[in-house]
Amino acid sequence: MANVIVNRVLEFLRRYPPFSFLGREELERVASAVEIHYLEKGELLFNQGEAAQPHFFVLKEGSVELIETKAGKEEIQEICDEGDVFGVLALLGKRPYVLTARIAENSLIYSIPVEIFEEVLEKNTKVALYFAAGFASGQVVVRQDLSQGQKARGVFKAENRDHSLLIFSDQSEIKISEKVLTCRPDTSIQELANQMSEADVSSIVVSSEKGFPLGIITDKDLRKRVIAQSLQTSALASEIMSTPVITRKKESGFSDLYLTMIKNRLHHLILTEDGSDQSPVCGILSDHDVLLSMGNSPAVLIHGLMNTLDVKEMRTIRDRAEQMLRYYLENEVAMDFVASIMTEINDVIIRQAVKIAESNLKVEYPEFKNTRYCFLSMGSEGREEQLLRTDQDNALVYEDVPEKLKEKAAEYFLKLGTSIVEVMLACGFASCPGDIMASNPEWVQPLSTWKNYFSKWILTPTQDALMRASIFFDFRAVTGNTGLAEELSLHIYQEVQKKQAFLSFLAQNALANPAPLGFFRNFMVEKSGEHRDQFDIKARAMMPLTDLARLLVLSHGVIGVNNTFKRFERLAELEPNYEALFTQAGKAYEILMRMRALEGLKEGDSGRYIHPENLGKLQRQLLKNTFSPISELQEIVQVRFQLDYFR
Amino acid sequence: MSWWPFENKKTVKTDFVKAFLEKASKPIPSIRSLDQLNFVVLDTETTGLNPEEDFILSFGAVKIEKGKILVHTACEWYPTSPKSGGETAKIHGLVSREEEIELEVFVKKLLPYLDQSILVGHHLGFDLQMLKKACKPFGLEKFPNPVLDTMNFAVRLEYGPQIDWHRIKKEEYSLDSLCERYGIAKDDRHTAAGDAFLTAQLLLKLLKVAESKGIENFGQLMR
Repeated sequence: MANVIVNRVLEFLRRYPPFSFLGREELERVASAVEIHYLEKGELLFNQGEAAQPHFFVLKEGSVELIETKAGKEEIQEICDEGDVFGVLALLGKRPYVLTARIAENSLIYSIPVEIFEEVLEKNTKVALYFAAGFASGQVVVRQDLSQGQKARGVFKAENRDHSLLIFSDQSEIKISEKVLTCRPDTSIQELANQMSEADVSSIVVSSEKGFPLGIITDKDLRKRVIAQSLQTSALASEIMSTPVITRKKESGFSDLYLTMIKNRLHHLILTEDGSDQSPVCGILSDHDVLLSMGNSPAVLIHGLMNTLDVKEMRTIRDRAEQMLRYYLENEVAMDFVASIMTEINDVIIRQAVKIAESNLKVEYPEFKNTRYCFLSMGSEGREEQLLRTDQDNALVYEDVPEKLKEKAAEYFLKLGTSIVEVMLACGFASCPGDIMASNPEWVQPLSTWKNYFSKWILTPTQDALMRASIFFDFRAVTGNTGLAEELSLHIYQEVQKKQAFLSFLAQNALANPAPLGFFRNFMVEKSGEHRDQFDIKARAMMPLTDLARLLVLSHGVIGVNNTFKRFERLAELEPNYEALFTQAGKAYEILMRMRALEGLKEGDSGRYIHPENLGKLQRQLLKNTFSPISELQEIVQVRFQLDYFR
Repeated sequence: MSWWPFENKKTVKTDFVKAFLEKASKPIPSIRSLDQLNFVVLDTETTGLNPEEDFILSFGAVKIEKGKILVHTACEWYPTSPKSGGETAKIHGLVSREEEIELEVFVKKLLPYLDQSILVGHHLGFDLQMLKKACKPFGLEKFPNPVLDTMNFAVRLEYGPQIDWHRIKKEEYSLDSLCERYGIAKDDRHTAAGDAFLTAQLLLKLLKVAESKGIENFGQLMR
């Protein structure tokens, strides 16, 4: 018997198609997967052009408008009512939304995960037909897309490429309308509206005799200030224009223009001869023009991030970066480039988070304004390999302070670290299950304590310490005083030199995961639990390689190279007799990173578990080939660190 | 005679209680924004209104994460109790219970479910007293989780933080009245899960009101 809450949701859904076509059992599965949220008038559920969420929506109560923005004009395409289904595009190709959903009346919305419904679509032809006929509000869906998967994917891919090619689009491609529609302040509303419809534009600039801009009137103003207020159409332009206007010089760089618009939340930016409002109007740029030409270039995303301290906006930009990532991965863009771009984006988010945190705390703790500290990323982010927003691993180190300030410093830096971690959580980075984060007092410590931690781990390598090694030994200074991090690295180097036996322990740990192929050259899949029959690409293929690379560079006394494939590159230089093997291992790691990230994007998770049977033959072969350097390297390590004596 | 289990007045903490306490005692940073908070909205139905004598008949709850009620987390559990329904049973229609579970099984399910969440309920104090009683035999003295009573929360939002509690008409802040006022359809009243679901919807709406009044993070919410 399903419980009362599931039943309640089920009873609502069954009254409306396509749910009315479902059997009791199917319906129960759908109902128990529902997530309910409540939005207030004016809030947006999704935005045109935004990446699709892994849900579609059913309106429980309230009212939602689906709006299309075309050439800067907003047009209401549909108004959803109780029981209406919308946002269905996500069901198909995970394409960006073609409409914006805005709450017209406070609404209770049920979101239903796409994956649950995909199963239903496969089994239940009635439901598929319902969508095929495009009944779900605002979305036309073609049955072919569902059944002819192969073909559909081809179609989507082509479309994707069109869209994503814009990533490389040149700034010079933005179209700035040079013919600007203008009118005088004493023009009547009726008259200017006629002019706008005739020119088919969404805005008109109100200018003085000399052509200097005084104000601007957009479609939205006509709606909000004329119709909604029942103003006479004989009223004058000067009564409804937005004023004063923000202006820029036409020759300004694209990022300057775009950021002016973002910062001031402008839909239209007026360009003048000399950039001030005391000079004639010579162009206008609408946000739609920008969107069309901008695409998702790394530069734009990074600029966008650097110029906002609004966490929600940071989150949106990080989501967009994921779209870019998908394009890069699918198009086999070089992995070191992809990894460094994504690392840079993640690092900018951390730096902005630090700004937010510092400014929030500076009044309360003025005494630490000049205390040096450094924010460290660890684990995959420390190795500059984090493509998806999997667990954050980080820590904070600060310089030693006088005894009397110790307690207060601990308090201040813990608050600082916590605040940074909170921003990252809000930007979609998952929390670390082992709590290795700068919000944990254990990992927010002065330099001397950090040195002691590492000395202890190196001198007494317990199982626990070795587990931690894989995270902590890959730290990287992200922001603040990098000198502190360097001092710590040097300390580690000296300690390892003193106690070479530590490397043998580390080596033993690196061999803990055997090569991931079974006797019959089949994949070693999980035997039980949630991920039964799936292949754990992280633990079985990637971790052995990162462990081996770390061990070998440490044994050469190399510090400061964190990236696994860069470590293999360096090793190839250091040991020319094994050059081929190390190069192969580096390549293997790149392939694994790409596979995992693509899987993660496809499934909307960390991509850690792969279904071998879902891989194509070619991919399966590719994956198996990445394993061969693992066992070869393991044999070398076995001999080099004389691990046989340990057993 | 330390082997005699009934000698210790204070019951020994069982391992699952220890595990729960360790996790749940972890403080939530006060700057965490409302939409990042995890809530467990709960309700209990009991044999009566006296925590000393009465027992839990049923426990219903649902979680809210990232601002959404997650229906798949909805639960309804019926711990066994030594006392039969009596008067309460008549109201709640819980006369025969199909899926009764042992008290220990119940507590073992309950604690990981509560985890580090903020506990929410209407007249939460009573439910917590009853739950505390159920957990006591296993060594749990009290719940370290932050708590939020939707009744107090609604009063605070409508009257502001400086309220004269004597001026408040209690009946205007019953779950029934609040549901009416906030436009929540009253189904399944007087089942634990049903009331928990109503309270969860109420909480979503109250949180929006709170946000419009400048309550944006955990610290402000708990003030």
